[in-house]
Parts: sequence; C-alpha cells; structure tokens
Amino acid sequence: MTGRTAIYNARLLDPASGLDASGGILIENGVIAEIGAGVAKTTAADVKIDAKGKALAPGLIDLRVKTGEPGAENKETLETAGDAAAAGGVTTFIVMPDTDPVLDSVALVDFIKRRADSVAKVKVLPTGGLTIGLDGSKMSEIGLIKQAGAAFFTNGDKPVEDAGVLRRAMSYAASFDVLVASRPDTPALSKNTVMNAGAFAARLGLRGTPLEAEWIALARDLMLAETTGVRLLADCISTARSLSAIVRARNNGVKVSCSVAAYSLFFNELDVGDYLTYCKVQPPFRTEEDRLALIDGLKQGIIDAVVSAHDPQPTEDKRLPIADAAYGAVGLETLLPCLLSIAVREDIPLLSALKTVTCGPADLLGLPQGRLAKGAPADLVLFDPTAPWACDRDDLSSRSKNSPFDGRKLEGRVLRTWVNGATVFERG
Amino acid sequence: MADYAFPHRHLLGIEGLNRLDIETLLELGDRYVELNRSRVKHTNVLAGQTLVNLFFENSTRTQGSFEIAGRRLGADVVTMPIATSSVKKGETLIDTAMTLNAMRPDLLVIRHGSSGAVKLLSRKVDCAVINAGDGTHEHPTQALLDALTIRRRVGDIGGMSIAICGDILHSRVARSNVACLNVLGAEVRLIAPRTLTPPGAADWGAKIFTDMREGLKGCDVVMMLRLQQERMDGAYLPSAREFFHFWGLDEEKLSHAKPGAFIMHPGPMNRGVEIESGIADHKTRSLITEQVEMGVAIRMAVLETLAKNAPEIGAPKAGGKRR
Repeated sequence: MTGRTAIYNARLLDPASGLDASGGILIENGVIAEIGAGVAKTTAADVKIDAKGKALAPGLIDLRVKTGEPGAENKETLETAGDAAAAGGVTTFIVMPDTDPVLDSVALVDFIKRRADSVAKVKVLPTGGLTIGLDGSKMSEIGLIKQAGAAFFTNGDKPVEDAGVLRRAMSYAASFDVLVASRPDTPALSKNTVMNAGAFAARLGLRGTPLEAEWIALARDLMLAETTGVRLLADCISTARSLSAIVRARNNGVKVSCSVAAYSLFFNELDVGDYLTYCKVQPPFRTEEDRLALIDGLKQGIIDAVVSAHDPQPTEDKRLPIADAAYGAVGLETLLPCLLSIAVREDIPLLSALKTVTCGPADLLGLPQGRLAKGAPADLVLFDPTAPWACDRDDLSSRSKNSPFDGRKLEGRVLRTWVNGATVFERG
Repeated sequence: MADYAFPHRHLLGIEGLNRLDIETLLELGDRYVELNRSRVKHTNVLAGQTLVNLFFENSTRTQGSFEIAGRRLGADVVTMPIATSSVKKGETLIDTAMTLNAMRPDLLVIRHGSSGAVKLLSRKVDCAVINAGDGTHEHPTQALLDALTIRRRVGDIGGMSIAICGDILHSRVARSNVACLNVLGAEVRLIAPRTLTPPGAADWGAKIFTDMREGLKGCDVVMMLRLQQERMDGAYLPSAREFFHFWGLDEEKLSHAKPGAFIMHPGPMNRGVEIESGIADHKTRSLITEQVEMGVAIRMAVLETLAKNAPEIGAPKAGGKRR
C-alpha cells in the first residue's frame, strides 16, 4: 500500500509504550510513519480518517487459533478465519498444528504460509507440531520447520504423555531457542469429561475434568523446562494454582510464559447451565474463584497472552447430547469485546488488558507488530471501548457459529481494522 | 624422557594420565611410525609374549589395528572369537576373564559394550589390560592416535583450538579426546544439539556450542564423530537430513574454521550424515586415513610400554577368593 493515510482525532492506546493519549497515526507504505498529537486533520495525506475520539490500538495478535484447513474445511478455512479475525480486530493469528494432515513437516508449514498469504485478509503464522503426527513419540524436524517459518512448536491439544519424549524434544528445541507451547492436561484424568469437576457437574450428572489434570501436567512441564532450559509457553491455563506455580517457577529462573483463553476470564462452570454444548471446551470453564484469580493475574501482569482458543465446530458436531458433542468454541470475533467487557466489569486498566493481545504475544514470538511504533507494520484496530451490543452467532463471520457468547451482552466493539495500512474490515 | 618410567600397569582410560605419560607414549608412537614406514616392519620387543584380543563388540579397524601392532612387535597374537564363544553359552564376564587368565597372557586388549566392564575385568586378571573401548566411557588409544596425528601435523597441540562435533553424549571417543587434549593444553570445543550434549559437559574443560558455525569459528582441527543410526529416528534427533543440515560438516560450515583447518573422523563414517563426501576425501586437509596409520603406531607404543611394566607373573590368581 503506497500513499499516506492519516487517522486523526483518536484515543491512542499502546501497551508497549504505555501511551494513552489523543492524537493520530500517519501510515506510509504500510508502516507507521508518525504517531501522536502531531497527526491531525491538517496533516498532508492522501486518505484522511476521522476516528471521532474512538480508541486506536495495535491490531491484536492471537496465539491460538484452529481452522479446518487442511482437512476439515467444512469447519473453517484460512480465508473464513481471516474474515473473522479482521472483524474481531485480530491482525495476526497463529494456527495450531492439529489439522489433517498435521503440521509436522516443512512442506505443510510452508503450505499454510503460502495459502494464508493468498487467501487470508490478516497475517497468519503456522506453528510446528512438536512430534510427528502429534502422536507423542518422535520429535519433528524442529530446526528445519523453524527455518520454514513456524512461530513456535506445540503438540496442540494432544499432550506429549511420555516424559522422556517431551524432555528430549524440549532439550532439542532449546538448541534453536524456539518457544515450546504445552497445554497442561493429563488425558488419564480428562478423557471423556464434559466440564469442570465439582458439585455442579455432579448435579448435572456430567463427568468432570479435575483441576489436577492441569496441575500435574503443568508441574511436569515446568520441571522439564527448568532442566532443559527451553522457553515454555504454558498454554491456556485455567486454574488459580497454575498461576502460582508459574510465578514460583519464574522466581526460580524457569523461562516460562503463560496464556489464558479469553473465555476463562469471562465464564465460570455455572455458565454451562442447561447443558450448553457451545460451552463444552478444553480446558473447561472453571470455578468463580479460578476465574477471579485469572483476572487478578491479568491485572498483575503475570499472564503474557490472552488467546481466543478459536476452535470452530459445525452444528452437527455440537447439536448433540453434551457428552457426545465436540469440544471447542469460536472466539476470534469476540476476543477483543470479551477483554473490553472484562476490563469494564472487573476494573482492569485498558492498557493492561490490551497488552496480553498486542505486545505481550508479539514479544514472545519476536514479532515487530503489536505496537504503535515508528517503522512498525501499520496493523491497527479502531474500536469503541464501551459500546454495548448483544452477540448473535448468526452475525459471526466464522464458517462455524459455535460461540459461547451467543446471546450474551458485551461492551466494546471493533469499528475498523487495518493490516499493513490497508483496511481489511469496516463496520457498516 | 626415554628413561621415564611409565607408572601404570593398565591403560583403562586417559583419565589418570598426566602430560608426561601421554607424551612418552606419543614419542614412542612417533618412532613406530618410522618403523611402520620402513620395509621390514618388525621388532622383537614382545617376543615370547602373548597378546589376547577380547572384543565383546564388533570391530574391524580397532581389532585389526591391535593385531597388527602385536605382530609387528613380535608377540603371539590371539583374537578370541567372542561372538561364537562360551560367552554366548551363558558364561559370566568374570568367568571368561578367569579362564583366559589361566592361559597366562601378557597383554589383554578388551572392548566391551558396557561402561566400566574393562575396569572390572582388569581387577580379575594378572596381565596388563588395554581398554579398546568400553560403552560410552573411554577409548584411550583412539585419543592417543588422534593426538599423535595432530601433533605430527602442527607440532605442538598446546594452544590449538580443536572442535569435536556430533554425538558427544554417546561417544567414548569424545570423552577420551577431551581429557587427552586438555592435558596437552588445547582449547577444546564440543558442538552438538542439546540432546546429544552430555549433562555437565561444561565442566569437562570444554566450551559447549549448539551452533556449528559459531563453534567452528577460527578452530584448527575439526573432529567429526560417528552418528549411530538409531539416534536419528526421532528420539535424540528428528532425522538424518536435519542433522546434516545443522551439524553435518560441509564446505560452508567448514569455511568458518581457520583456513586450512584439518578434518578428522574416528570412523567408520556415514557420508552425507555427519560429513560431506568431498570433505572426507580432501587431499590436504582430511587426516582420516592418517589416523588409521597412527593407530597401529600408537598401539605398538602402548603395548610395548605396558609389557615392560608387567611384574613377574607367578601362579594365576586363585579364582575363588577374587570373585
């Protein structure tokens, strides 16, 4: 995109620099050329956009997205996920390796990059599967796949159960200083479960995932990260005790970061309510105490990234008795509104909330975007931080509509999204 | 130095040898290189003595090298066919040793797949024992022949930068070489992926690298190690091609070493896995066949030195109480 675009009369929000002030941004050749009060209506530009006092922030970076491409395009393609992302103010997202075939080779990682470049409106980075076929027995070509452009390595939703395999894979990954993400889960405890284990699940007569399923796996992962020296991302933690384990490990010098699914900050186990299959997710909605602890972790800056955990599932896999329904919820379009709603309701400073979806994840991956800085890519989102709206799943751009936010009232709405200075979404 | 009395009865490892011990062997080795290059490659220093080769692990070059070394010194050389022997019939290691000991050999060369096995046997026999490789522990004659090879090329090993690359974790060659080169004053670097770097290797007196280009920067000698096939199946390494891409020695990576840096490999090589063919065959820089030549000479030096040290042997040890 050549030419100059000036967005003026905005509330600039940049978590990386702590900026929260009125002003504007001048975009030139797809990158940010100028920021601040100096950019105004009078600035010389080919295109001038009046932000009308709304919030202008770096576009969101989402570390955990599943599409159905390749292998299950009926759920979501890179193109439809890109549309949903743009509508949600997400300008970069990372796709999980659990596709069919699995992203465990140079060729598939390369395929995702090329495919997304040609069809997705936003930036898409693939992850690499940590083990071949995600079967947890043999490590993948971590070095070559990293060179092919994998953002980080993960076994997706299938934890590596063999500690010996994980230890060697982490140790090998440390040779290349790559980030290894692991969603702490103990399948022996979580298999065939529907929701958080506890009194409510018992009353509904549903099988629950105990908290230990997360604690045991996280404890193991932290120990292995400590001895191997790998950079670990504890992916989608959901309990209070996991947070304190991470803080403890950090104090001992373990290179561990953590992410939380946006839904874990918004819902608790009671929201599963009347057997709502859209609320069947892994990790499950936990107790209110856990939710509040995660909110507190966000305020304290312990949580590096909040993710959408976007996991599209078609109606036929969700319109079933809850025990038989698929796990997963879409989340790309609700990531920012969810965060903004929590910020309002739980009194979280806007910059602290935004940090977890901008420079927080960008810094984990060493990306130049996710900040309002001269020379950074002009990946931007304009939003109204308090506009109330009700989520209707039929209005979502995702190919699948399995949103737990369906029918929920949210505060905060995306108005316009830019990637490399080009508009990729504008609310009509 | 000619009158230095080598103080060890066995050669179980480089560990425990001092600089004088090593240099004494290297100097004698030098003299045997000359003998081996002459027309009559024979002396009688071990005439009447018996050398037994006991290889519990298959070996072609080391076993052959010891056989030739023993014969050139005039010893009677017997190589026990372990693969088809009583060991296969269930005899314990110690019983095998006791049986052999009763045959009164003077020198016993042992290779065994278990670390520490050679040392165990050395306690049960009366003769001098030479470790020809025990598990992933030591391979002292390989380190000595490597040192002899380098020394003959560069003069003094002191101050040389020597990089050892590949499967350090499972390599007895690497362990012996680090010890030997350290004693001789070289700067030793170990280059390997983390999965093949032994824990605590930083305390061996070597610098540890995972990036090959960084590790090779400015070094004088590059020693490549053999990568066992079974390490490449996803357990320690994802694949042979990934290993070669990041840790295989090719022209480009070698260009980071000192111009003219020498290339070594203890053999047998996996061409295209740890080393590019053209480099292995380099006319002036590859010392790989020279290493084999030095192997015979240094083994002659070791055999002679230990044979001289042997005490007069009386009756064989009473087996019962030594067990």
